[in-house]
Amino acid sequence: MSEMQMALTNTAGITSVMSFWVFVASNGFKNRKDLLVKIGSWTLTLAFVAVTAAIITRGIDAQRFPLANLYESLLWFAWATMGAYLALAKAYGVRQLGWLASLTALLMFLYGSWLPQSQHDIQPLVPALVSYWRWIHVPPLIISYALFFLGGLSGFIQLYQAGRIASLITAAATVSLAILAVVLGTFTSVETAWLQILFAGASLVGMIISFKLLRRIDKNRGDSKLAETYDDVSYRCIAIGMPALTFGIITGGLWANHAWGTYWSWDPKESMALVTWLSYAAYIHLRVHRECSAEKLALVSIVGLLLTLMTYLGFNSLGLGGLHSYGNFK
Amino acid sequence: MNQESEKIYDPKTQSSLKNALASVQLTIFLMSLTALTVLIGAWCPQESASGKEKVIEQFGADTAKLLTQFGITDIYHSPFFLSLIAMLTVNMIACSFLRVFPRIKLLQKPLPFLSGKDIGKLPINTSVELKGNDQSALTALAVRLSARGFKVATSGDKLLAEYGRFGRLAATVTHIGLLTLLVGVTITSWTGFSGFQPVLLNSHLDFSQSEHSKLWVGKLPTWTVRVDATHREDYPTGEPKQWFSKLTVLDTQGKEIKTQEISVNNPLSYDGVDIYQSSWGLDHIFLNFNGKEKRLDLQPMGKLYAAFLPLDQNSVMIFSVRADGIIKVFAKRPDWEAPRQLGEITKDKPAKLGPVTISLIRVMPVTGLQYKCDPGLPITYVAFAFIIVGVLMAAIPHRHVWVSLETGSKKEGATGNENKTDDMAPSKILYFGGRSVKAKVGFERLIKTLESQMASEFGIPKVEISEAQPTEKLNAGHTNESSAQKKKEHVLAGSSADSNAKDAQGDS
Repeated sequence: MSEMQMALTNTAGITSVMSFWVFVASNGFKNRKDLLVKIGSWTLTLAFVAVTAAIITRGIDAQRFPLANLYESLLWFAWATMGAYLALAKAYGVRQLGWLASLTALLMFLYGSWLPQSQHDIQPLVPALVSYWRWIHVPPLIISYALFFLGGLSGFIQLYQAGRIASLITAAATVSLAILAVVLGTFTSVETAWLQILFAGASLVGMIISFKLLRRIDKNRGDSKLAETYDDVSYRCIAIGMPALTFGIITGGLWANHAWGTYWSWDPKESMALVTWLSYAAYIHLRVHRECSAEKLALVSIVGLLLTLMTYLGFNSLGLGGLHSYGNFK
Repeated sequence: MNQESEKIYDPKTQSSLKNALASVQLTIFLMSLTALTVLIGAWCPQESASGKEKVIEQFGADTAKLLTQFGITDIYHSPFFLSLIAMLTVNMIACSFLRVFPRIKLLQKPLPFLSGKDIGKLPINTSVELKGNDQSALTALAVRLSARGFKVATSGDKLLAEYGRFGRLAATVTHIGLLTLLVGVTITSWTGFSGFQPVLLNSHLDFSQSEHSKLWVGKLPTWTVRVDATHREDYPTGEPKQWFSKLTVLDTQGKEIKTQEISVNNPLSYDGVDIYQSSWGLDHIFLNFNGKEKRLDLQPMGKLYAAFLPLDQNSVMIFSVRADGIIKVFAKRPDWEAPRQLGEITKDKPAKLGPVTISLIRVMPVTGLQYKCDPGLPITYVAFAFIIVGVLMAAIPHRHVWVSLETGSKKEGATGNENKTDDMAPSKILYFGGRSVKAKVGFERLIKTLESQMASEFGIPKVEISEAQPTEKLNAGHTNESSAQKKKEHVLAGSSADSNAKDAQGDS
C-alpha cells in the first residue's frame, strides 16, 4: 500500500469516527443541534471524499479496478454507505440516520483495518477474476448491500419514532449478536458451527420476539411524522437497492455463463444473494399489496439487513465455501 | 389488497381455487419458504456441487446420513423444493394474468381535472393567494412542473401533471421477465446438457465418456475435441494468471473441422456447444533414470506439483515441479529436520546424483474442459433484460399534481387561513396538491418548494401546507401506500371527483 493511499484511508477512517461522535452529540445537545448536525454532515462529506480518493489511489497503485478482495470491498461498502446517506440527507433532510450511517462506515473501516496484511497488500488477480465483468458485476452488489443496510437502519429509527422501544431494543440486540458472530468468525478460531448457530439462532429468536413486542407502544416517545418519513426513507433505500441487487445477480449470471458455462450453479454465495433477493421481493409485495403496518415493514427491513450481513460478510466468516471465496483469507 | 386490483380482479366473482392461486398472501408465503429452503441449501454443502465426501467431512457420517435422508444434501433437486418452485410458478402465472397485466388498461384511462375543493382533499395539498389577477402563475407552475419531468395538461384554469407513468408498468415488465425466464430455463433443462472432463495433452474430449448431466430430450454430440497444446501463464510472483488450451474439433471420421485456442473467459463454440477452460494442472512426469523410463504421478502442492518416489522404508525422493517444467529434486529422511535439495532438472539439463543421472522426458499437463449446450439461452437473456428494466422501473415514483386557479376567499379553500377577513375583495387563489406512490416525503418537499416559489413570486405569503390525514397514523397502525392508492383509485375511477374525494376521506 502506498503512503498516499494509507494516508487517505486513515483520513477517511478518522473523519468517519469524528462525524459519528458529532452526530451522537447532536442528539444530546438540543440547543446546538443544527450546528452539530451541520458539522457532522461536513465531516462525513470529508470522509466520503477521502475514501473516494483512497479507492482511486488504490486503483492507480494496483493498475486495475480496485475491487478484488474483502478489504477493497469494505472500502467500497463504506463509500456507498456514506454516499447514499449524503444523498438521502439532501433529499429528505434525515438527521438521525447520520450517526447510524457513520457508525456503519466506521465499523467497516475498523473491520477492514483488522484484516491481515495480505488483504491490505495489492495482490495479483486469480485467473477467474481477470475479466471486465468484475467491474460490472461487483459494484452494484456492494452498493445494494449498503442501501439495504441503510434501509434496515431507517427501520430502527422508524421503530423508535413509532414508540416501539421494546421491539427496537430486541432487534438491535439481535443485529449486534449477528455482528458478533461475524467478527468472531473473522478474527478468532472459534468453531464455525457454533457461530452459525449464534447467527441463525439469535436472528430467528430475536426477530420473532421483536415482532411479538410490536404491541408494546411507548406513547411518550417518538414522532409520528418522523416515523412516516423514516418509513419512506427505508422503502426508498430498498426500492433503489433492489434494482442494484438484481443487476448484480444477473450480470453475475452472465459472467458465470461466459466463464464457467452456466449462469446459475447454486453456489452458496449465489444462493444467499437469491435469499436476499427473495426477502426483499417479499418486502415489496407486502408493501404494495397488503395492509401491513409500517412497524412490521421496519422489522422486515431489519430481517433483510441480517440476510444482507449474512450474504456479504457472514458468508466467508461463518465458513460457507464455494466459488465466491475471493474474500477468504484464512 | 388494493383498490386497483379489486377493480380489475374482483375475488367475489371468482372461484375459490382461482382466488387461492392468485393470492398475494400465497406469494409472500411461498417466497419466504423458498428463501428459507435456499438458505438451508447455501448452508449445507450440496452433493451435486461439492460431492458426498464434503458433507461427511463437515458433519460426520451419522449426521450426513440423516441430512441425505431428509434430502438436504441435494435440496435443489428434492421433490419438496421442486414442488415449491412449481407452486410459485403457478401463483406467479395466476397473479400475472389476473392482477398484474390487466393494470395496463388502467393507465389508458384519462384522469379528471379537479376543483380547488377536491384538491383540498388530496393527501398533500396547499394553496397560494395571488397578488395579480392573471394566469401567469398557472403558466409558471406548469413550466416548473415540466422542468421536473412532469407531463402537463391544461384545461382553462385547471392543470393536471403526471410523473413516472410508465413506472406503473414495473410489475408487468418484471413479471413478463420472470415468466420468460421460466420458459428459457425449461427449454434448457429439457433439451440442453453440460459436463466436465479433464483431458491430457494430445488426448480427446469425448462427450459420451465424460461426466455429464442427465439427458432428457437432448443428444450428446458425436464429434470429439483434441487438445493440441495447453499451457499456463504466470504472474512474476508465480501465481497463475491465465490457462490456455489449443483445441481442434474432429468429426466422426477424424477430419479436422475447427481449431481455436481457449482460455478462462474465452470459450470455443461449435454446433451449439460451448467448451470452456475451467481448470488446469500437471498430471504426471516421465523421467529417465540411467536410461530407464519411469512415470510419476503429480499432486498439486500450493503453487507447485510434487511426485514422491520411495527409495527405501525411511527415505523418500521428492520431485517438486514448477508449471514451467523446472524440477527440483529433494530427499527426506526421518532424521533430517527438513528435506534437502539434491539437484535441479530442466528439459536440457539432467541432474547427476552420485551414480544416477536423472533426465526429464516430458511433463504431462491436464486441462479441465467444461462444456455445455444451452438452447434456452437467448430466451433467458431476453428475460434478464426484462427483469432488469422492470426492477429499475419500480424505483420510479408515480406522481400526480392537480392545480386549479379559482376566484374566491381562501376560507372555503383547502387551507383555512383564519387571519383573512371576509370583507376582502375576491382574489385569485391557486390551489394545488397531489399524491405520490413511493417516495412520498420527496414529493411533499417538492410541493413545499413549489408553494414557496409561487408565494414569493405571485402571492401574498403566509400559508401553511396541510395534510389530509396527519393524525390517524399511530392509532391506525399505519397508512401505507395501498391506502394512499385507495384514495387515488377512488378519484381515478369515479365520474364525479367530488363524491369520490368524500369517499376517500371516509375510507381512511
